[in-house]
Amino acid sequence: MATMSERPGNVFGAKLSRRQFVKTGGVLVVGFSLVGPELLKGVSPKPAVLKNSLDPTLSSSWIEIHPDNTILIRTGKNDFGQGTTFTAYRQIVADELSVPFEAITTVVAGDTDRTPDGSGAFDFLGRGTPNIRKAAAYTYQALLDLASERLGVPREKLSVKDGIVSGGGKSISYGDLIKNQQLKLTIPVKGDLTSIMGLTIEGNPPMKPVSEYTVIGKSFKNSITSSKVAAKETWATDVRLPGMLHARVVHPKTLGSTLISVGQLDKAKFPNSQVIVKDNLVGVVAPTEWEAIQAAEQISGSTKWTEWKGLPGNSKLYQHLRDEADWTSAPVGKGRANKGDVGPALASAHKKHSATYQVPFMKHAPIGPTMAVADVKPDGTVHIHTHNQNPQELRGEIAMMLRTTPDHVIVHAYPGPGHYGRSNGGNAGAEDEAVLLSQALGKPVRVQWMRADDMQWSTQSAAAFSDVQIAIDEKGKIAAYQSDHFMPAMQDDRPIGAVLAGLPTMPAPDVHSDFITATTNSIADPWVYAPVPNVVELGHGTFQVGQKASPLAVGLRDHSMRTPVQYQQNFPRELAMSEAAALAGGDALQFRIDHASEERAIGVLKAVRDASGWDTRPSPRPDALAAGSTPVRGRGVSLMFRNLTYWACVCQIAITPDTGVIVVEKYTIAVDPGIVINPAQLKRQVEGGAVMGISLALLEEVMFDESGITQNNWISYPILKMSDIPEIKVVLLNNPKVGTYGGGSEAANALAAPAIAAALHDATGKVMRRLPMKPAYVQALLKT
Amino acid sequence: MVTITVNGVRREVQAPGDTPLLYVLRNDLQLRGPQFGCGLAQCGACAVLIDGKEVRSCVTPLSDVAANQEIITLEGLPARWAKQKGLSAQEAENTLHPVQQAWIEEQTPQCGFCQNGMMIKATELLESNPNPTIVQIKQAFTTSGLSPNLCRCGTYVAIIEAVQHAATIMAKGR
Repeated sequence: MATMSERPGNVFGAKLSRRQFVKTGGVLVVGFSLVGPELLKGVSPKPAVLKNSLDPTLSSSWIEIHPDNTILIRTGKNDFGQGTTFTAYRQIVADELSVPFEAITTVVAGDTDRTPDGSGAFDFLGRGTPNIRKAAAYTYQALLDLASERLGVPREKLSVKDGIVSGGGKSISYGDLIKNQQLKLTIPVKGDLTSIMGLTIEGNPPMKPVSEYTVIGKSFKNSITSSKVAAKETWATDVRLPGMLHARVVHPKTLGSTLISVGQLDKAKFPNSQVIVKDNLVGVVAPTEWEAIQAAEQISGSTKWTEWKGLPGNSKLYQHLRDEADWTSAPVGKGRANKGDVGPALASAHKKHSATYQVPFMKHAPIGPTMAVADVKPDGTVHIHTHNQNPQELRGEIAMMLRTTPDHVIVHAYPGPGHYGRSNGGNAGAEDEAVLLSQALGKPVRVQWMRADDMQWSTQSAAAFSDVQIAIDEKGKIAAYQSDHFMPAMQDDRPIGAVLAGLPTMPAPDVHSDFITATTNSIADPWVYAPVPNVVELGHGTFQVGQKASPLAVGLRDHSMRTPVQYQQNFPRELAMSEAAALAGGDALQFRIDHASEERAIGVLKAVRDASGWDTRPSPRPDALAAGSTPVRGRGVSLMFRNLTYWACVCQIAITPDTGVIVVEKYTIAVDPGIVINPAQLKRQVEGGAVMGISLALLEEVMFDESGITQNNWISYPILKMSDIPEIKVVLLNNPKVGTYGGGSEAANALAAPAIAAALHDATGKVMRRLPMKPAYVQALLKT
Repeated sequence: MVTITVNGVRREVQAPGDTPLLYVLRNDLQLRGPQFGCGLAQCGACAVLIDGKEVRSCVTPLSDVAANQEIITLEGLPARWAKQKGLSAQEAENTLHPVQQAWIEEQTPQCGFCQNGMMIKATELLESNPNPTIVQIKQAFTTSGLSPNLCRCGTYVAIIEAVQHAATIMAKGR
């Protein structure tokens, strides 16, 4: 029996209440209370407690401190290999609570019924203050209050080390402090749980001073690595439910085809298979995976679809974008650094650079195609087992598709192949299809896309082109910079199965107010050359290619991919900066330093100069050659600011003009994120981004004809192989005086392309302004 | 009924002979090491060792594997190492294969989905060449198999370092 005495207290805007129990284990639960207009869209009237969620006012929790001094943390952010939730999050919480790293024994991530905040697997470090840090900071304040009362010592006389609160000659551990009590700290939260951004903790609890960090800054290992390496992890691909059927989806013949007639199943060959049709969604289901694959192939061959030719095809892509796309309906995005008057400066330029840059469609290309297991119960409750970057948003999307509310949907999150942004808006492709097939059959269904499905029916990073003009004055300085960036909508979060089945989804990208799915193209590449007096950066947006022409309103669907939009804007800017330096007769790296004022930007440039052995001189090199069978060498540089982190990169290449083959021989990158939380993990993330970035720069381009994507495997959509990698040097600049920690997982992707293109110019005197730098394209360029 | 030997145990499976081995291992035998990456032998995620050689299980029909051939998956690497080194059952229980140890020490995986194939390839390499050069490692992971072993997260640097680290662990014998 419990004797309760509810005693609320105020903790920097959070509310602490206690129920004292005679015989319970006791636990400090940090939950959240609600502020702001809407917690959950589509639920009306809003329930006090949403079913199948953590109770937002009572049992929901971010952090649990247990009587044995172990700590559990929860986050909606579902890791796909960044490792942040298992490393940096534990380090951040450990330092805010003044406990050892090892005290945080459990990380619960992603599951929609077991985690509080939602949002996607991006921006883990939350511009320096991720939710989990604030949750820990509130908790720490509450613990100090409790200790003060228990020990009879004023708060300001207390200190905490390794989870032991001491003061006035007395001490007590966190575990003992909360033993036999149930404490509930409610903290202010706002946002929309099932949106892309999820919930955000409000308020400003005091944070641990940087000078007191003891855990942040050390290289702790990622706790999930061991189970993955030892084959002990349960991956999404491992989920097998009783009575589960295997399915394959026969996707339409083109991106605009509708179903004429579904093929007849060969029952002699596939006696246990079934074909499920919902409008244009055709699924083939069987008890074994191999039968489902073969039956789907047979059905695919005999199913009839309408023809559709609504895409421009690769060869006409940029002409289509320039001349035919509608750039007038979406509001123009304006750069925050816009200033001065570029017109007169460009008109009176001593020297002027003017050029167009092109970035192709690129695939996220996860190493495993999307899959999901769905189990729609007789009472309408939907369970989805999958790997997804934003399980709460998926929950909302599935609820919308089924015309129900998110409380009927539970998403169970598991490790899986990295999606690199593709599912940060809630779906990767197979989830909704699995739900619809499970609903139709009343059994759990596992949908696994084949490699061709994943290449041809998933979203991609949007193609873009940019017009850049730079005026250079008599002193060789930039007098004006103007860029006009043109790009179709980058974020289409409609689940494709719902679209094919004609069921409700969020709207297609359009001129509307939801900034995530609007056709507006914003300026995403922060300006880093503050001393330039006149700057205009404009973003021009439009509909996705083929979207308006497709009866399914799909076309080439786009989705953010590592460093989204910024990649498409940084490549033109940084290559143009190298070209402007050449035009001014200056060294490309020094030219950047001369046009920067931010100490950290200059710092990464100098660091990468020293670490790469950069030879200061103008480009192209004096003996540049655009012909011959002998490799020519060159080097180029690039600079970027993203998520509080400065990046600079130098690529040293060898190019054989006759073959057009570029070999990146050395890649050096300097990174200043402010505080480095975990050096070893950051280094690995940067190395990975470097490799993916080189792959994008040299090889990757979505090929399509008038009907759809023509690539269907790793031969037709190649990525970098191990033999292609350069010597990679990562320079981490720990810069604690910045006082914050910046992001480090995705940004390295963007730096290679402009540095390699500048190196090509250095080596050959020719400028490749179109990606990727495939041998055939380079060969053609060098012949001009 | 087909008999195969997986990780030292003879298993009887019901699947038709043309079923790719990958689906048998994952669905019939509930193994979690080999992954479905492409089904086309173009990436390596599904790799297993058969008689010590790296094989793409996604394109290997069940009927092509004889009952006495030794199939080793990621799960079977620790026992393989224990047997090679003559470790006691108790020692073996607590030991990972040096390749797995090195993969953890070097913090090689990011998403980790391809790493099954990478560790299988590393084991194959180190069993024939205990001290490979970087060039030989790159060669092994790029041209020695049916296709390059592909990693989308870009962990190739970490893989090379882990192979070198595994070589030193193996040289020490534990």
